[in-house]
Amino acid sequence: MTTLLRSELIKLRTTRTFVALAALAAGLSLLLTVLTGVLTDPTRDEIVTSVFANDTSSAFILVLAVIGITGEWRHRTITGALLAAPDRLRFLGAKTIAFAGAGVALSLLISAAVTIVGLLIVAVRGLPSPDAGELLEFIARSAGLAALLGAFGVGLGALIRNQVGAVVAVLAGTFMLEPILLAVVPEAGRYGPFVALPTSASGIDPEAVGLEEAGLLAPEPATLLLLGWIALAFAAGYAALRARDVES
Amino acid sequence: MPRGMWRPSLADMAAIEIRGLSRRFGSVQAVRDLTFEVGAGRVTGFIGPNGAGKSTTLRMLLGLVYADSGEGTFDGRLYRELDRPGTHVGAVLEEASFHPGRSGRNHLRVLAAAGDHPDSRVDEVLELVELSGAARRRVKGYSMGMRQRLAIAAALLGDPEVLILDEPTNGLDPPGIRWVRDLLRAEAARGRAVLVSSHLLSEVAQSVDDVVVISGGALRASGPIDQVLGANGIVATQVRSANAERLAALLSDAGMPVQREGTDLLVVPGVAPEEIGLVAAREGIALRELGAAGRSLEDVFLELTAEAA
Repeated sequence: MTTLLRSELIKLRTTRTFVALAALAAGLSLLLTVLTGVLTDPTRDEIVTSVFANDTSSAFILVLAVIGITGEWRHRTITGALLAAPDRLRFLGAKTIAFAGAGVALSLLISAAVTIVGLLIVAVRGLPSPDAGELLEFIARSAGLAALLGAFGVGLGALIRNQVGAVVAVLAGTFMLEPILLAVVPEAGRYGPFVALPTSASGIDPEAVGLEEAGLLAPEPATLLLLGWIALAFAAGYAALRARDVES
Repeated sequence: MPRGMWRPSLADMAAIEIRGLSRRFGSVQAVRDLTFEVGAGRVTGFIGPNGAGKSTTLRMLLGLVYADSGEGTFDGRLYRELDRPGTHVGAVLEEASFHPGRSGRNHLRVLAAAGDHPDSRVDEVLELVELSGAARRRVKGYSMGMRQRLAIAAALLGDPEVLILDEPTNGLDPPGIRWVRDLLRAEAARGRAVLVSSHLLSEVAQSVDDVVVISGGALRASGPIDQVLGANGIVATQVRSANAERLAALLSDAGMPVQREGTDLLVVPGVAPEEIGLVAAREGIALRELGAAGRSLEDVFLELTAEAA
């Protein structure tokens, strides 16, 4: 498994898509930090959620994971990958761990940058300083969430396989289906894996993201449910991968 | 092994065994009850027209496509049962299985890591396929020949005992084709078993020891190429000399079935050109032409594959 994991990490580091989307995630996170830091006047209780809760890595790692696994089919590199690792379960497992790890690394890097920029803004504007414990807990939750969504993306991509279809499914789930479900049937929508559960698991105040009416779950049960979604996606993705012929 | 005990030669040992392999896709029987062996130290041509089932067979052998029945094994083991399979089997299945944005070197690093081969091996195989100069360029800028060399480099990463190449000369220019042929011969000379598919018998006839011909997913012929072609009338030698009459007499005296085809032309069925050349040289007879005669390779190929078409 170690060799496969190393192989997957080399794949991540040697394509421009990953670097470009990671840079975009970092840039967007910093932009949001600057905007919220400059344009809002949060109290001490609100400062972490308002200014320091701008790590967008979990959304990007989800898309990157989907692109990563579906790219194996799109570029037909799946053939070489499965020749090197004929055990498809190990292959998918290594990719899942790689994207979970990449999610953690990306999230921590972005959180570090966001924290530095946020602290600078707080100091310059004379805003209340964040509680260190609360901030560290938030950073840890963000990193954990990025790991979960990275793993979820691999399962989804293995299941759907078509790159465009998989990315569209993720975007539709995130920006259309789940928001609609949350608005219309919040009793069901709060269990959704794209918006509701990640929001809950991150520990963000639902009010800060306009979901105060949805009755979101507490972080711990939300994390457990998200793990359930990952297990489901992984099992379905593996079943599809195992059943399929790898043709040219 | 005690002295005197029988020991199989490399050629006697089957590095690849395919037994009763079958696969149907919907209404199409792509491969039907296919059985053959590939010996170590030999280049085996896997020949058939497009759509004959060659690629499906190779992919079933490598565990990429599932067989309905039968199996393909390497020294008795399925591909998925091989420990570090890249050290046993190297395969080139398609020319374009690269991430276009990754450099050739990084493509090999990915596969080397997955196959547990040392990083140093990446530079070795790049040198071997003469791609060192382009190793850091992105693959999307590679020519067809460069991509094929990169694919072969990937197959060689584990210095495998068996090489499997699916139509490796497709799209290559003559120097590229020559390079692939030389590589295959060199690998066989090192004791490797080489299985190379082609839809052109004439393309591989010069470089293979054995041939397996399939059509419509079924085996049509297999064995040493001389036997397969000989059984279908390809082995005859055409020799032209100003002294054809004397040469004909000498060859007849040597028990060869000589046919006169004109004043200076002889055709000798079932005899290799080398044997006739030796007789002529021994007697000091100058030759103007010496080579294979009879039906063309294409004729034989079409005949072998026609029945199932």
